[in-house]
Amino acid sequence: MNYYQQEVMRIKALCYPNDKQLEAVIGIRHYMDKNFDADINLDFLSDIRFTSKFHLLRLFKRYYGITPKQYLTIRRIEESKRCLKNGMSVSQTCYTVGFETPSSFSTLFKKKVGICPVRFQKEQFLQSPSRSV
Amino acid sequence: MKVRVIGIPVQDQDRALKFYTEILGFVKKHDVPVGGKNRWLTVVAREEQEGTEVLLEPSPDNFEPAKTYQKALFDAGIPYTQFDVDDVQQEYERLAALGVEFSMAPTAMGTVKIAVFNDTCGNNIQIVQML
Repeated sequence: MNYYQQEVMRIKALCYPNDKQLEAVIGIRHYMDKNFDADINLDFLSDIRFTSKFHLLRLFKRYYGITPKQYLTIRRIEESKRCLKNGMSVSQTCYTVGFETPSSFSTLFKKKVGICPVRFQKEQFLQSPSRSV
Repeated sequence: MKVRVIGIPVQDQDRALKFYTEILGFVKKHDVPVGGKNRWLTVVAREEQEGTEVLLEPSPDNFEPAKTYQKALFDAGIPYTQFDVDDVQQEYERLAALGVEFSMAPTAMGTVKIAVFNDTCGNNIQIVQML
C-alpha cells in the first residue's frame, strides 16, 4: 500500500465513519438530481428522510460542503445551460428547471455564470461547430 | 480573472498527446512550437471543447526541480490532478481493458468514489465520481 492509499484509508476512517448519515445525504442529493424542477425545500427533504431539517442541513453541509439549497441551485443552473444550448427560450428554460420567474432566474444565472442567459445562448450559438470556419 | 488552462508536467509530449487523446478521450486544442522540441500543447474534454484546457507541459525535461517534484509525487502514489467522470467503475473497466495501470481500484470515500491510474508520462491521475 503506497502513501496515498494509506492517507485515503486514514481520512475515510476519520471523516466518514457513519454509513447511515452518508446514506441519508447521498439519498437527498440523488432525490434533488432527479427532481430538480420540483418545488423542493428543507421541510420536504427532512420529511423524506424522517429527520429534523436542522440536522439534515448540518449533515449535508458537512458532507458536501454546501447546503441543499446551494446544491439545488447549482444543479438547476447546469440544467438551464443545457436547455439554452439546445435553443430553448429563456422563459421556457426558467420554468423547465424549476425557477419561479424569468427575472429571478436571469439574475441568479448572471450571478453564477457571469453573463445573462441571453448572452450565454448567443455565445453558445457563435461557438457551435456548424458555424466554425 | 478566469481559469482557462491547468498544467500537467509530462516526460514526453508525443506520448502524452497519444495517451490523453487516444486512451482518455480528450481532444487536441492547441499545438504551437515554442523552441527546440517543446510545444504549447493543450487538450480539452470532448464534451466541453470551449472549457478549461489541459496543458501537457514538458517541464520535467527542461527544469530539474520539476522532475524531482513529479517523481516524489508519483512514488508516493499521490495524484497530480483529477478529472470528473460520471461512473468511476465503468471508466476503470474501460481503461483497464485498454491496458491502463491502476494503483487504486475504485474506492468509495464519503460522498465520492475515486480511482488512480498511471498516465505513462510520470503522473498518477485520479478520476472522481460524486456519489
